[in-house]
Amino acid sequence: MYLVPVFFGITLLVFTIERLAGDPVELYGALNPNITEQQRELLRKSLHLDQPIQVQYLSWLSDLLHLNLGSSFSGGSVATLIAQRIWATLELQLLGLTLSLIIAIPIGITSARKRYSALDVTITSTSLIGTSIPIFFLGVAAILIFGYHLHWFPSGGFQSTLPSQYPYGSLLLDQLWHLFLPATIYTFAILAPVVLLVRSSMLEVLRQDYILAAKASGLKDRTVIYKHGLRNALIPIVTYVGLYFGGLLAGAPVTETVFNWPGVGRMFVDYTTQLDFPVIQAIVVIITLMTLIANLITDVTYAYIDPRIRLE
Amino acid sequence: MSFDQILSVSGLRTYFYTYAGVVKAVDGIGLQVNKGETVGLVGESGSGKTVTAQSIMRVVPTPGKTVEGEIEFQGKNLLKLTESEMQHIRGKEIAYIPQDPTTTLDPVYSVGDQLAEVIMRHQPVSKKYAITKAIELLRNVGIADPQVRISQYPHELSGGTKQRIAIARALSCEPSLILADEPTTALDVTIQAQILELLTALKDKFNLAMVLITHDMGIVADTCDRVTVLYAGQVCETGTAEQVFGNPKHPYTEALLSSVPNLALRKKHLSVIPGNVPNLIQPPSGCRFHPRCSYARKVCIDKDPELESMGDGRIVHCHRWKELDLKSAVAS
Amino acid sequence: MNQEGTSQTAEPQSARPHGVSQWALAWRRLKKNKTAIAGLAIVGAFVVMAAFDRLVALYPPRCIVGLSPSCPSPDFVSNGPPTLTHPFGTNIDGYDVYSEIIYGTRAAFLIGLGATGLAILIAVIIGLAAGYFGGWMENLLMRVTEVFLVIPFFLLLLVFLQVALKFSQFSTGGIWIVVLVIGAFSWPGAARIIRGETLKVREFEFIAASRQIGASSWRILFRHLFPNVLHIVIVLLTLQIAASILTEAAVSFLGFGAPGSNTWGQQMYTSANFIADAWWATLFPALFVTVMVMGFNLLGNGLRDALDPRLRE
Repeated sequence: MYLVPVFFGITLLVFTIERLAGDPVELYGALNPNITEQQRELLRKSLHLDQPIQVQYLSWLSDLLHLNLGSSFSGGSVATLIAQRIWATLELQLLGLTLSLIIAIPIGITSARKRYSALDVTITSTSLIGTSIPIFFLGVAAILIFGYHLHWFPSGGFQSTLPSQYPYGSLLLDQLWHLFLPATIYTFAILAPVVLLVRSSMLEVLRQDYILAAKASGLKDRTVIYKHGLRNALIPIVTYVGLYFGGLLAGAPVTETVFNWPGVGRMFVDYTTQLDFPVIQAIVVIITLMTLIANLITDVTYAYIDPRIRLE
Repeated sequence: MSFDQILSVSGLRTYFYTYAGVVKAVDGIGLQVNKGETVGLVGESGSGKTVTAQSIMRVVPTPGKTVEGEIEFQGKNLLKLTESEMQHIRGKEIAYIPQDPTTTLDPVYSVGDQLAEVIMRHQPVSKKYAITKAIELLRNVGIADPQVRISQYPHELSGGTKQRIAIARALSCEPSLILADEPTTALDVTIQAQILELLTALKDKFNLAMVLITHDMGIVADTCDRVTVLYAGQVCETGTAEQVFGNPKHPYTEALLSSVPNLALRKKHLSVIPGNVPNLIQPPSGCRFHPRCSYARKVCIDKDPELESMGDGRIVHCHRWKELDLKSAVAS
Repeated sequence: MNQEGTSQTAEPQSARPHGVSQWALAWRRLKKNKTAIAGLAIVGAFVVMAAFDRLVALYPPRCIVGLSPSCPSPDFVSNGPPTLTHPFGTNIDGYDVYSEIIYGTRAAFLIGLGATGLAILIAVIIGLAAGYFGGWMENLLMRVTEVFLVIPFFLLLLVFLQVALKFSQFSTGGIWIVVLVIGAFSWPGAARIIRGETLKVREFEFIAASRQIGASSWRILFRHLFPNVLHIVIVLLTLQIAASILTEAAVSFLGFGAPGSNTWGQQMYTSANFIADAWWATLFPALFVTVMVMGFNLLGNGLRDALDPRLRE
């Protein structure tokens, strides 16, 4: 499909922006003065900095296509480094998105069905306010309360450092215990815009003639709302969720810093502080790829829901 | 309620509670339908025709609410039934054919799906049976190749076909009363005639009672046994088609009839009813038609007229009906 | 169709602006919206805070209580909890958290308005051009927009800031770099929306415009197109202010902001390490970010409802 030129465009853009900043090795060296001139030469060679810029780009592109993510300036294969962290990121992001959808859809539907009621007004106002609450406020506050002060949950991290700290000796339980607070807070943090979207989409759909016709045919309320209403309402929601997920992934650095969560986002913060370019590049490309995949899934789902699209 | 009567509406008031105020869309409407007859419900946009039908089926959309009235159908007062009981009436005893065929079918489900779900809702049958029945229904409403159509989606079909499907859906569970809301308004003129013919044929075949909502006097003349004329949420007059067309008793009816363009009369100007449709939040005092009525007197401004019965089913809502000698502009 | 080809559907915002009446109508609609008024009040409160920061704050800026002669109070407390003299406590450097927050208000406005101004300017130009010219240009711009939408700009922002700030000599001017970079990265979303609106407006106005003096220069057309997308630009502007402030806070919180800028995000960053002992120094700046962002968001949403010509209730 058109993914190929898009991928091409993305890598080009990332590369350009990066090179605009200057000579990568120089920049890295400025922040890490203890590397020797010899090491710098090696790094330069690895990035083909002595060759024209097109060659640099194309060699990086071909590396990517061969799934070679290169080595970090501070040593270590980028691919390995990322592989160690990627699951943590995916776990938190996917869980957050799924849970928030599961919670938001019923709330949005209820709000739409009971429009103008006190419940609806409450939900709408709360959600409007909720869209403005940044994760670093909600997350930090929650960690403070539930982690540091109440000690109900650990204040960060993926799992306990010592097996002796596992609850009931179970690694799984330990991981879940660590996952609970970040996942819950994160879900709530991203809930609000989805609720508002579900509500407005539902409102739009419930006004439609076919909903009235369904009701006039004697179909049960549940059938009318869920079979006819929700499926149509999901169309704009699904479209939005794809983009939204991309935004969530981009925010991973903040989210993972707040929860002290060892994912790719936190890694990005660390390595960007050092201006370790191979790692930076790789992470940007990977996250972009994940966004692309999310969009693809969205498109497929959209076609599944809406038969009008399929025939294209 | 007489033996033949299948539906009797009286004193119906349905109001919409909006931010701008209370819209009194239906404010004291009465309607009687006998078995097997077609009653025309006529009026301009905003006269309350659709809301009346919605009120009968109790599908008035928020912020609307039926605040008063009695709707007797086959001996039951529909306004007193629970929602669950009402669901067994909708689609099964009383069916609704909506106005706009292009938006009345859910775009994400196939034709067969939507017909079958109504059938299965009201009868304990399998999906296979329901689909077979649906195909037969499509054939009955004059759709060619029904087996092909059954798995198609609404966006693949023409307006005329979709209206036939809507009719099929309405008839699928053999109701005794059909509420047809301007079934031909949204269609091409050439299709209009076909659909009307179809409706009349089906009505006769299954001996259905029908309320035909329309603003087109021509259709009323062709198809209706009795007529109720509405204005601004109230009844103007009721009677048989011959009575109302041949000998109108309400100034609004006279004006409506004379505004129908008629080549035979060779009038120089199209006659128009002066003024505008009234604001239903603050309707005119007294008789709602008085600002536009050429026969209005002081009593019309002060007092709302009574619904007076002239005998044998003829009803008029005007202070001056006895004195006025109204002309019918329609050559019969 | 004897006058202009007026559309039968939504009332087209006419090419000849009716002066006060449209805006007055929108203002009345806005006033009815309680959350929008709340937003407006919040923004107003912050404007006052920024304008009169010396008066509202309790201590002079960067006043190390107890150490510098201009500070009134005698005791130096590092990471001190909220007390009567320090309603939000003190941070690691001994600064009064409350006062520092007040002084950070101006920086917040600077960032909000500066970055937004740049971003919206670019977005308007690109959006109008993409929507108006059509053809191959529209196609190209559409593809480019898709690429932009998929790229995680926040990540690139961090990289750029790191390079720009670590290698520039500015210690206090750093904030301008932040403003510039955020503005330069924020235009794609707004541009896409403006393009969409331009496409719609083009339908109304183009017919009328083409009937004007044959070779109408596209400056005239921008004078027709632009006022009709203005309503959406205002909404985008307001919401972008909220987004810019939020982005700067996030960026600074991670340590990529301008160290001397004393924005709320910076304040959060400097205190983040001590969060277990002195939560007030991190949480209160975060709270102020939240409230200011909320104010602009509520206002922006209210403006969207009030200005949308098609939204009738």
